[in-house]
Amino acid sequence: MSMTFEDSGAVLEARKQYNAKLAQQADKRRAWWFPIAVMALLMVLPALQLVGNYNYLLHMVLFTASYVAMASSWNILGGFTGYISLGHTVFFAIGGYLAGVLLARYGISSLISAPLVGLVAAGFGYLIGLITLRVRGPSFIISSLALLMIVRILFDNWHFIGGANGMALPVTDLGVLWAKVPYYYAMIAIAALTVICAYKIKHSKFGLGLRAISKDEVKAESAGINTRLYKVLAFAFSAFFIAMAGAVWGEYLTYLRPNIFLIILVAANMMLMCILGGKGTIAGPVIGAILLVAFNEFFVAMMGASELNILGTGAIMAAVLLFFPLGVVGTLAKAGKLPRILNWD
Amino acid sequence: MADIIQLTILGLALGGVFALMGSGLSLVFGVMRVVNLAHPALIIAGAYATYWGWRLLGVDPVLMMPFSAALLAVVGIVIYKVFFEKDAASAKYSDLTVLMAFAVAMIVEGALGGMFTNTQRVTSPSYATEAIFIGEIFIPKGQLIAGIISMTIIGSLGLFLKFSRTGYAIRATTQNREAAELLGVNLRFIALLSFAIGIALAGCAGSLVSFVFNFFPAKHWEWIAIMMSLVVLGGMGSILGTVVGALLLSVLASYVGAAAGATWSTMVFFVALFLVLLVRPQGLFGDKSELAS
Repeated sequence: MSMTFEDSGAVLEARKQYNAKLAQQADKRRAWWFPIAVMALLMVLPALQLVGNYNYLLHMVLFTASYVAMASSWNILGGFTGYISLGHTVFFAIGGYLAGVLLARYGISSLISAPLVGLVAAGFGYLIGLITLRVRGPSFIISSLALLMIVRILFDNWHFIGGANGMALPVTDLGVLWAKVPYYYAMIAIAALTVICAYKIKHSKFGLGLRAISKDEVKAESAGINTRLYKVLAFAFSAFFIAMAGAVWGEYLTYLRPNIFLIILVAANMMLMCILGGKGTIAGPVIGAILLVAFNEFFVAMMGASELNILGTGAIMAAVLLFFPLGVVGTLAKAGKLPRILNWD
Repeated sequence: MADIIQLTILGLALGGVFALMGSGLSLVFGVMRVVNLAHPALIIAGAYATYWGWRLLGVDPVLMMPFSAALLAVVGIVIYKVFFEKDAASAKYSDLTVLMAFAVAMIVEGALGGMFTNTQRVTSPSYATEAIFIGEIFIPKGQLIAGIISMTIIGSLGLFLKFSRTGYAIRATTQNREAAELLGVNLRFIALLSFAIGIALAGCAGSLVSFVFNFFPAKHWEWIAIMMSLVVLGGMGSILGTVVGALLLSVLASYVGAAAGATWSTMVFFVALFLVLLVRPQGLFGDKSELAS
């Protein structure tokens, strides 16, 4: 039996108007031009190749874009929903390997197969989420770690995909100057898509439900949110974008190996970028990725050794957790000092 | 039949070492609700302390154990003071500290790697390569010694927890923090003490590990999941559970290793971890309220 109130239509109408007004106010304060300008700049950047060899610059942008995609994607589960996963490199590997096999056996470039690969990984994510999202808190973190270990052993022993030795992919026909450019555009497109989707998700009813889950899952459930479905969908979404990034990254490297894709450092980096920039914000993972890549390059240039690199990563992570648990964006926003160009939420 | 007895003995000897590796982790979780992902990295630090004592001064790895334990206890106190003391009252302490422990693990790994490089090391006292034969069955002497020492240490830890006043206070804190505090237990001191004991146990385990396994700084990632599986199977916070979990899984792993090849034997630990978390998150001896909620 349904009940209707006489004025319910008027109430709904009033709420709609109020929401529109709020949205308009938010829009006025938003610096839309900034992301568009950044994108435009990135679009024309490869033109530098006409005047010289700027492959290093392109590589750094591509690398950062892949981390932006991964961090923003991780943020959907880790930031919005509050489920911290240390095993998300599994989807990076699934994406990379699936696209790699398609390329090596059937000659389909990852630039075409990436969305399909993403969907397959999202399917895996959905299934894995159904199992692992039954537990939460430390148990979930530990189970994600176990997932990574299991998949690593499987990939190390799976001869069809080269086992621990990995497999080589055909190299592109383009010359040295232009070899990076297709992957550059593809990775930037994936990163932009991920950020836009993360924004859309955050501002949808679905995103509201996810944030409710991260605050208090029991209350969210009793408020009528289908928490199980929401969590699993969040898991699938985050798997989708990471796998797309993995697909392009694998073909770009022309080499697939479990110890490139399935190492805990990559998983740690995804988490670190979100925490560094601000968990649960839209601009946070982007800023985190830029900062982390910059730190990495700095450490490598200064000290060279990969072990000190790990030390640096750990030290930054600990320092951020101790002193700025909200990350760059969160800390600035709390102090009311977030520049308008970084307010993407 | 002899094969099965042989595999069981090898599994039990290894399980004894794993039990000591996991018991410190379990103690720290029980008292402080910290899932200390840095524990295996600290075991490796203990193994390095032992290695250099053996290599440079010729001290037997087993004799290096008290030194390694004391060194690691000090390291543990520093780590606790710097990284874990903040937010101890927060409801999300477990979640916060997992990330922090992860960061600490990376710091320890990076520092060890920077100082000692990622070369594989192992101490090789004479008993590490000898074996005792009983009929057709052989028992590797190194693993037997390590297993016996580890059981002795865990036994004395159990006695300490059961009969001393401090042990009472630690157990009370594990069971119910608020009630323990109301009854006059100094929570801060107990937390610091159990963290120090837990990390000292990592130091002891490091000394044994140094002649049972090859080790290098990055190896601890492999051990994290193994140790988590023991501790989770036994029930986090239960030392007895950890010992049972360690023995059970190691024996199982040695069967699987013999049947399917050595690379698959560690799979037992990871699959067990996965299954236990999903089917019975509180483990065999654990209290349901801790991890499941």
